[in-house]
Amino acid sequence: MSIKVQVTNLNKNFGTNHVLKNVNLTVQSNEVVVIIGPSGSGKSTFLRTLNRLEDPTSGNIVIDGTDIAQPNANINQVRENVGMVFQHFNLFNNLSVAQNIMLAPQELKNLDEQKAAAQAHHLLKMVGLEEKFAAPIQSLSGGQQQRVAIARALAMNPDLMLFDEPTSALDPEMVGDVLQVMKKLAQQGMTMIVVTHEMGFAKEVADRVLFFDDGQILEEGTPTAIFDHPQNPRLQEFLNKVLNV
Amino acid sequence: MNKKIGLLLSLLFLWFFIGPLKTVQAQKVYQIGTDVTYPPFEFANKNNQYIGIDIDIIKAIAKEEGFQVQIKPVGFNAAVQSMEAGQLDGVIAGMMITPERRVKFDFSQPYFNTGIIMAVGKNSSIKSFRQLRGQKVALKTGAAAAAYANSIKSKYGFKTVTFDDSNNMYQDVVTGNSVACFEDQPVMQYAIKQGTPLKIPLKPANKSTYGFAVRKGHNQKLLQQFDAGLKKIKANGTYDKIKAHYLGTKHHKAPAQPQEDRSFFGLIKQNQAALLSGLGETIWLTVAAILFATIFGIIIGLLGVVPNKFCQGLSTTIIYIFRGLPLLVLALFIYTGIPSLTGQKIPAFLAGIITLTLNEGAYIAAFVKGGIQAVDPGQMEAARSLGLPFGKAMRRVILPQGIKIMIPSFINQFIITLKDTSILSVIGLLELTQTGKIIIARNLEGFKIWAIIALIYLIIITLLTWLSNWVQRRMQA
Repeated sequence: MSIKVQVTNLNKNFGTNHVLKNVNLTVQSNEVVVIIGPSGSGKSTFLRTLNRLEDPTSGNIVIDGTDIAQPNANINQVRENVGMVFQHFNLFNNLSVAQNIMLAPQELKNLDEQKAAAQAHHLLKMVGLEEKFAAPIQSLSGGQQQRVAIARALAMNPDLMLFDEPTSALDPEMVGDVLQVMKKLAQQGMTMIVVTHEMGFAKEVADRVLFFDDGQILEEGTPTAIFDHPQNPRLQEFLNKVLNV
Repeated sequence: MNKKIGLLLSLLFLWFFIGPLKTVQAQKVYQIGTDVTYPPFEFANKNNQYIGIDIDIIKAIAKEEGFQVQIKPVGFNAAVQSMEAGQLDGVIAGMMITPERRVKFDFSQPYFNTGIIMAVGKNSSIKSFRQLRGQKVALKTGAAAAAYANSIKSKYGFKTVTFDDSNNMYQDVVTGNSVACFEDQPVMQYAIKQGTPLKIPLKPANKSTYGFAVRKGHNQKLLQQFDAGLKKIKANGTYDKIKAHYLGTKHHKAPAQPQEDRSFFGLIKQNQAALLSGLGETIWLTVAAILFATIFGIIIGLLGVVPNKFCQGLSTTIIYIFRGLPLLVLALFIYTGIPSLTGQKIPAFLAGIITLTLNEGAYIAAFVKGGIQAVDPGQMEAARSLGLPFGKAMRRVILPQGIKIMIPSFINQFIITLKDTSILSVIGLLELTQTGKIIIARNLEGFKIWAIIALIYLIIITLLTWLSNWVQRRMQA
């Protein structure tokens, strides 16, 4: 097992607002890390610094040997290997389902149209949407769009997948389908960092759970440790609110 | 599609630069400025050709001395300023030789005798300057008669109001807004003979002469040729013939033929050639301006969204400057201001295109920027997170969506540009508005002609608005 992600002393300020405070984290390949915590804790910001959608104020973020926090890092190249799935899907509105999936491989890996289309078919099959190949994205439900978004990210064959609250914007009956796809990915050995409120998923799939609050990782451990034996009082309070609806 | 645009651009480029070169012939061609209308010295005949004592004299002299002239009837004040800026070689426009003018211009030998008179309404009882106390007097901008009037203004205690052409000055007295105006004697006499309801109660106050003017220290050869030619045409009888033609007892009643049809349809038919020509120029200007303004606007707009502080600052500054400057000021600055600095002439059409490109282009840049920024930021985030560089993300994802947002604004800008071309009349471009001014200067049918001109603009704009609605419907489909 090699180290996929190494975050050292990461700080992020938005103006005077100190949002990430000296965060440290190591993620091994094939690991599934789930991040939970209250709103405003900085967990989404943290995830977004991992592919530099947010610029860190200080600290190091080493992914596959490259410190992306350095200004001269080739961030585009690193991003080709790190897939991201957004809360609001962010499918390209001017392209069809297939075109969404095929765009990056064609532009960046010079895949010809046939190969790219074949790959798109394969990925859509994997997420259960093969029949939607030529569909405009506006014709899909939220859950379907998110699954297409996952297929789009997978089209670049990444080693690491980041999920930013992937099911938070979905109707409850669609959440299951998306989590199903994510489970399958985890089983196939994908390294995943997932920010979510879905505790069931965390319990079932996570290798490690991090509790994020006020810009810091206050507690981390196995799902059993975190959910059944929380130590930190703020974690206890959080779980109380979330699990006892 | 790109090839066609490239071809059109190359043709336009050639047109601008080869066009002026065409005029390099065996004989030198001088650009001579004159008034829009100042009968009997310069005015447009029924076919909107320029005739008059000044025109005939300079053409006769040019023939004698072996050079050619292009007459530019831009208006007295505009002609003087254009000449000071180096855009015109000389001005012949019933210009009185005065000591003040000798500071800035070199004059030819006098070619006509004149004097300054005051004119009042036909039924007015004013017989002396003293009766002007407390009243309003109409003057013409930059004219020697105006200078004289201003010099006695405080002595006799009257107020003044200025106009850019003689006709508007007369009308102010005719309507009663002013009680008197000051004008050159032969011009006023001619206008009264043509039916302007004014009278001249006093003898001329200031006997003077007309001269042909060039910028001090420039075009000395032209000046010498004028003097030599004037001598010749006086000697061989041409000069007297010209004078008699316009001021003699058997002179024709041009410009306004009494049989001229004064109804709306008559006026349209009468002037259809000029109106069509003016409309053509307006459309030509609009199309060329929109083309270049779009290119300029897209470049500046894109500059405003690239992730580079300097580019963004540059874009913001350019948009700020050219949206802030009034179009009129910008047009005059480019046409007369820049040539004064560089000493290089700019053809009026080119100056007009540059003006519109900068002004309209700034507005286009603003909504190009706005259109791109209106695209959901999540689109760019998703594209970048896949590893797509900024440029590719723009090209494949953001711009296609942004352009859809911009289309209504583009069509709108087309319409605005069309209307703004009328402002370019101030640098003498013979587009629709300037054409209207010249027609009215000749036949005095202000209301009817402006109504016709306004109608033409409205028709074109309505067609463009229909086009805009059609395009928007298609975009939504």
